[in-house]
Amino acid sequence: MEEHNDRHLDSPKVVWDGGRAVARAKALFGRGAFLSNYLIAFLLILTLNFTLPRLMPGDPFQAIYGEEALLAMTPQLKAQLVERLALDQSMGQQFLAYILALAGGDLGHSYYYNQPVLSVILDFLPWTLLLTGSALVISTLLGLFLGIESGYRRGKRLDKTLLAGLMFLNGFPDFFMGIVLLLVFGVVLGLIPLSGALTPYSGLSGLPLAIDILHHLLAPLAALVLVRVTSSYLLTRNTMITTLQENFILAARAKGCSEGKIKYRHAGRNSLLPVVTATGLSIPQMITGALFVEIVFSYPGVGLLLYNSLLTRDYPLIQGILLMVTVVVLAANLVVDLLYSRLDPRVSHAR
Amino acid sequence: MDLNMLEISDLKVSYEGDEILAGIDLDLSRGDSIAVIGESGAGKTTLGLALMGLVEGRVSGRIFLDGVDIAALDDSERRKIRGKDMAMVFQNVEDALDPLMTVSDQIDEAISVHQDRGYLRDVGGRVLSLLASVGLEEEKGGSYPHQLSGGEKQRALIAMALANDPQVLILDEPTASLDAVTKSQITKLLQERIRGKIALVITHDLSTAARLAGRMAVLYAGRIVEIGETCDLLENPRHPYTRGLIRSSPNMTTTKDLQGIPGRMVHGVSGCPFSGRCTQRIDVCDKEVPPLAEVGDRMIACHRGGIVPLLELSKIKTKFGKFVAVDGVDLTLYEGETIALVGESGSGKTTLAKTVIGLFSHQVGEIRLEGVPLARRDRGFYRKVQMIYQNPKESISHRMDVFDAVSEPLAVQKLGGPAERAAIVKRVLEEVELSSDDAFLRKYPHQISGGEAQRVAIARALVLDPKLLIADEPTSALDASVQAKILKLLLNIQEKRGLAILFITHDIALARKVSDRMAVMLSGKIVEEGPTGEVTTSPVHPYTMRLLEVAPDLAPAREAIVTGPAGGGAWTISEPLPLRAREL
Repeated sequence: MEEHNDRHLDSPKVVWDGGRAVARAKALFGRGAFLSNYLIAFLLILTLNFTLPRLMPGDPFQAIYGEEALLAMTPQLKAQLVERLALDQSMGQQFLAYILALAGGDLGHSYYYNQPVLSVILDFLPWTLLLTGSALVISTLLGLFLGIESGYRRGKRLDKTLLAGLMFLNGFPDFFMGIVLLLVFGVVLGLIPLSGALTPYSGLSGLPLAIDILHHLLAPLAALVLVRVTSSYLLTRNTMITTLQENFILAARAKGCSEGKIKYRHAGRNSLLPVVTATGLSIPQMITGALFVEIVFSYPGVGLLLYNSLLTRDYPLIQGILLMVTVVVLAANLVVDLLYSRLDPRVSHAR
Repeated sequence: MDLNMLEISDLKVSYEGDEILAGIDLDLSRGDSIAVIGESGAGKTTLGLALMGLVEGRVSGRIFLDGVDIAALDDSERRKIRGKDMAMVFQNVEDALDPLMTVSDQIDEAISVHQDRGYLRDVGGRVLSLLASVGLEEEKGGSYPHQLSGGEKQRALIAMALANDPQVLILDEPTASLDAVTKSQITKLLQERIRGKIALVITHDLSTAARLAGRMAVLYAGRIVEIGETCDLLENPRHPYTRGLIRSSPNMTTTKDLQGIPGRMVHGVSGCPFSGRCTQRIDVCDKEVPPLAEVGDRMIACHRGGIVPLLELSKIKTKFGKFVAVDGVDLTLYEGETIALVGESGSGKTTLAKTVIGLFSHQVGEIRLEGVPLARRDRGFYRKVQMIYQNPKESISHRMDVFDAVSEPLAVQKLGGPAERAAIVKRVLEEVELSSDDAFLRKYPHQISGGEAQRVAIARALVLDPKLLIADEPTSALDASVQAKILKLLLNIQEKRGLAILFITHDIALARKVSDRMAVMLSGKIVEEGPTGEVTTSPVHPYTMRLLEVAPDLAPAREAIVTGPAGGGAWTISEPLPLRAREL
């Protein structure tokens, strides 16, 4: 229809290009609006983090640093803090000071570790990123693979076995799975180390170090993956079953495509989309799960750090960790969103 | 087992015990294009998928392509044929193309899956030439399906099917869900692309079928019930189901009001699949499946050899003294069909009708009813043939109330007891949309309106369940809105009972809307006869042309109506005029 109409226009080329330019401008504007959503969310988180301790009744020092800290506080330390947090100024200026401090990487001072909060967190964060990141990637990919194979063989033995088995595993909480793995493979069989992320003072480097790290990572990772794989498996399997009934699958078969092509190139790729969305949404849960698993395995990640700081009431550290975690979740969601528009042309064109 | 041929023999498909295709036989050679038409659920798409080897159900029977039985091949062998020697164009529904792949990639895939490893032709160039051959611009190739219009998507689907220049092309509803203009463009494209191939066009759309296929096979509940040349089959359907399909599809060729087919399709019945909906079924229809047999130039699967001729008139002459009122009329009326007999007063229409019903007797010629020459008109004759008249109030005795008038034929035929008769009368009155309560039954003709009186007359005619109804100007005494209702009623009854109607009228505009065929009478002779749509759009006889000229239309400011031929005088027949009369 369209190409037919264009023929009657005097200068169809110009009209076409005009349309392109408008479309491009729209896309640019759309991308901007899309990113600004994340910016707004980030600002809201900062504001909350700033406001909550100040809304608590009593001395902001008490709210921020806790009672024990106040007892140990010397007058000059107090004066230094009042100046740094701009507590003698108006709320607006306090907020400004807070933002400026953040921009300078100042998340406060952990008095338990007697170090700036940021550097404490940065010591622990890589291990958590390693654990959750690999758990996320592995559980999603494994779930996809098993879901595609299972959905393609709906009702067959493999499908039934996988469905029942993974549903069973999904029933465990992460930390319980961790305890079971630790008991069986660590305590009884002695195959895995009982705690830590690497063997201390071993002086290893290079490949042996990597293997040592993997060895420590194995059990906590397995605990997370075994519990988390089910959701992406179930979603893939269900989407696969619906996708296989679509007409383009029939059309692909009519072309003479092999079963492998139909399974992965056509049905699989189309089943990927909801899984990616769900993975993005599951990141916060994954991080919560990781916190517990880290405690079980004494894995030196942010989860363990948070647990310790709760025990020691190291409030600045707790606040810093919470801020860090929300920012990580936000960033992960941004990555998923960008990935999604790469995967589905309909989304990138709609934007 | 010739080359260049597709031979399907005894192809059966069943899903979980339900037989969807119950033995299909078709032979097609290169250059043939056949349309498979039928309602949804008839098994059309299943037939296409079965040929491709893509049905899920149980398949039996043989499919020979170039002498090889492809139905017997294993999966991987079959896969090599799919999309290469035999391809399918799918209907452009939302998800017929993979939403995540560009059009070019999808066409490219169709080519590359059939190429041996290591042997790479210029696939990109082939894709471009395919895009051009289906009328898509080069840059459309880089588009994703959601960026294309319905017509463009259909073109892409066609390009995909043509990718390996297949010998057999199966088109599954190729133009459904397209608007009329796009549809005609796509149809034109397909006409060019199927040339020299074996094409199987699966559609419920008769006009698409007519444009794309030389032959047509009518599929009903998994069986082919009629096969014939497309134009011949559409103009002159011989199986009752084919006629029903044509009657129920809106088109610019037929002019009769749309009529449906009573009942619904049921698979897996023991006898003729259509018998439950057929108005001319006999005992054997429910028991045995009719074979697809050659009848003339058709293949028809019907125990009765297709739609049966109900009334055949040959060379009928009715004279009053020296005056010849009906002068050698030949006419055949089929079961469930309406023939309109049009002409001016005095042309012999009513005389012909009264000759048939037996009020006048003919001197020359023969009347056959259901194939049997009519010797005398006994009670049996009047059970099959009934008549309604122009003036309803005059045609009902003033001394009879509604119940007496309607039940009288039952009394004459000595049918049923009083209770049974009362039940029949009430049922028939309801069928003609009249009240069947006692108050109405006790009314006399002068107490009811003209429209009601004509309904009573129709009820009286229908009470014996006749096969033929002669309607002599049945609505000319009624005003327009009542007339419309009465005509609708007659058409509905025809749809339901398969009633044949000989409709006599001077009003060609009216005849155009109610009749399948039209016979124009002048001076006791039929001067033109044919399908109503054809007679009214391209009349051959000048008298028909004049009748059409003076027929009522709603265009304002027409010149004054001329009622005679130029130069005055009465209409006469000049003999060498071509007659449209068809031997059916």
